[in-house]
Amino acid sequence: MIKNYFKIFIKIAGQNKLFTFLSLFGISLTIMFVMIFSMTIEKITGGSGPEKELKTIIFSERVKTVSTTQAKGGGWSISSCGKELCEDHLKNVKSADVISMYTGTSSWEFILNGEYQLKYKNQTDAEFWEIYNYKFLQGRPYTKEEVINKANLAVITNSLKELLFGHDAYVLGKTIHFTSMDLTVIGVVEDPPATAQNARGDLYFPYTLQTDQYSKYIGGYRIAFKTGSSRQFKTIRQEAREIVSRLDAIDSAYSVYLSGPYTQLEKMMVGYGDPEEYSRGNQIFKYLMFALAFILLPAINLMALNFARIHERGEEIAVRKSFGADGRVLRGQFLFENILMTLAGGIIGILLSYIVVALFGNTITLRINFFSTVPLTFSFNIIVFIAALIACLLFGLLSGYLPAVRLSRMKPAVYLKGGEL
Amino acid sequence: MIKLENISKTYRTKEIETLALDNINFDVREGEFVSVMGPSGCGKTTLLNMIGLLDEPDKGKVQLENQEILSYEDKKTAKIRNQMVGFIFQSFHLIKELNVYDNVELPLIYRKMPASERKKKVIGALESVGLTNRMHHYPSQLSGGQCQRTAIARAVAGNPKIILADEPTGNLDSVIGHEVMEILANLNKNGTTIVMVTHDEILAKETNRIVRLFDGRFIS
Repeated sequence: MIKNYFKIFIKIAGQNKLFTFLSLFGISLTIMFVMIFSMTIEKITGGSGPEKELKTIIFSERVKTVSTTQAKGGGWSISSCGKELCEDHLKNVKSADVISMYTGTSSWEFILNGEYQLKYKNQTDAEFWEIYNYKFLQGRPYTKEEVINKANLAVITNSLKELLFGHDAYVLGKTIHFTSMDLTVIGVVEDPPATAQNARGDLYFPYTLQTDQYSKYIGGYRIAFKTGSSRQFKTIRQEAREIVSRLDAIDSAYSVYLSGPYTQLEKMMVGYGDPEEYSRGNQIFKYLMFALAFILLPAINLMALNFARIHERGEEIAVRKSFGADGRVLRGQFLFENILMTLAGGIIGILLSYIVVALFGNTITLRINFFSTVPLTFSFNIIVFIAALIACLLFGLLSGYLPAVRLSRMKPAVYLKGGEL
Repeated sequence: MIKLENISKTYRTKEIETLALDNINFDVREGEFVSVMGPSGCGKTTLLNMIGLLDEPDKGKVQLENQEILSYEDKKTAKIRNQMVGFIFQSFHLIKELNVYDNVELPLIYRKMPASERKKKVIGALESVGLTNRMHHYPSQLSGGQCQRTAIARAVAGNPKIILADEPTGNLDSVIGHEVMEILANLNKNGTTIVMVTHDEILAKETNRIVRLFDGRFIS
């Protein structure tokens, strides 16, 4: 039966070339966009450089405090996490293997030999070096004791080393003047790629060297929880939230709401939303709805084309009914053909995405964050590939089901009568 | 074998109502070869459609092999059509995208039948109409006679008890028409009940019985 359907599909696809072209064009273009979009996501969330274990890390980067005395009139703040919140509370999450707090990337501007320089700094704890896998070219990271003791130490990237000290120089023990501090270089790391959003920086030094100016709950830090397996995320999330919810009892002046902890992808989805109102579930739901709408539009287009062509198939359907095909079998046949069409479109779309990225990848730059953009490169990921196939199947089902139902309900007598009833 | 009781059917469009069958009673015994004659538009094809469960009457009962058709549920009627009835149409209605073999195989693919058995039955049916040498041809590569022989092979491939033939020679010249009649006569000799719509008096006389329709009623 499948062979029979397949033959019909091939013949019909060959007979009406315009329809076939229009169907394939819509599907393949959509799949191409789905692929490029998923490659973009993969590029950002897949983990690169020191973030190669990104898929085992979740982050809390924002917190909201609402003053309980002024709750009705406003009195709220949203910012990065405060030093006390991270140090005294979130770092106590037991279900994570390693927890790190750090400021994240921020710009560092200075003049060197009369020339303006823009580099990036990241103030971190010692666990930062456990969470992220930097390749040390010289020296070592700073330790917990050194962080606690506010040791004036720095780890720098190779490019900063070359800028400040020249090529091939052994720089351990040398001094870097940063604002009002003199930092001793104890390590040189390979430059992280632009896609390593969390680990990005040129100059790293203990966060304890610069005290937080903000209140205890809001401040300038983000916190990362690393675990052996993503299955542990749910437990970490619950524990972190429980810790934060207990803060209300400790400090009745504020209600505290924590964003996340989120995976890198969820973090991107939630964006700068209000930690009190944004839940991970409804944000993901919104994106899924958006993705469905993206697939739905070309599916509706294909459905319209299918409806327009139903009568062309009238005679064949009538004959099939005459010889024993029931509605279910006919719906199955039409859906099978439609899914074959969408899969063919999907394969073309995947090839097109390869071609587009190969030809124009360098000109399509992705804005990774406020500081950097990276060119798009093709990445083959089995999940992306399966997602594209699922998109094709969805496409085929969405665009084929209603026409298939109508087709299966056609009265055979009308198409067999030859003008006489 | 076939019993139609008080069957009426009216086709309605926005502009017009056409009474196709008006309180028809019709019996066909097992093994009979019956011709249905009458002018165009008198309801002959509608009658065949009623027998073949391709259309539902407004009123009346249909009985096939002592089995009353109580409901026209899609799955049930499809099964009856598949196992009990074989259709032959004036304009052949072969699926043009499929070759002769695949067209003849069509009723068999809707049965849960192993491929080897299907193959045997298709070859047998093609042999009975002398078309084994054309099995890989497409309908567009066949003459009218060959198309009708393919259609007959398709109708008999599943060994149905009833063949419903709607002007099977209408699109063929007289020589080929007689060849087709010969095939039908042989099928009938082997026990197949045949109801044939025709305009051709000479061919009709070769059958066991002739019934005549006029304005949706039998006149003889």
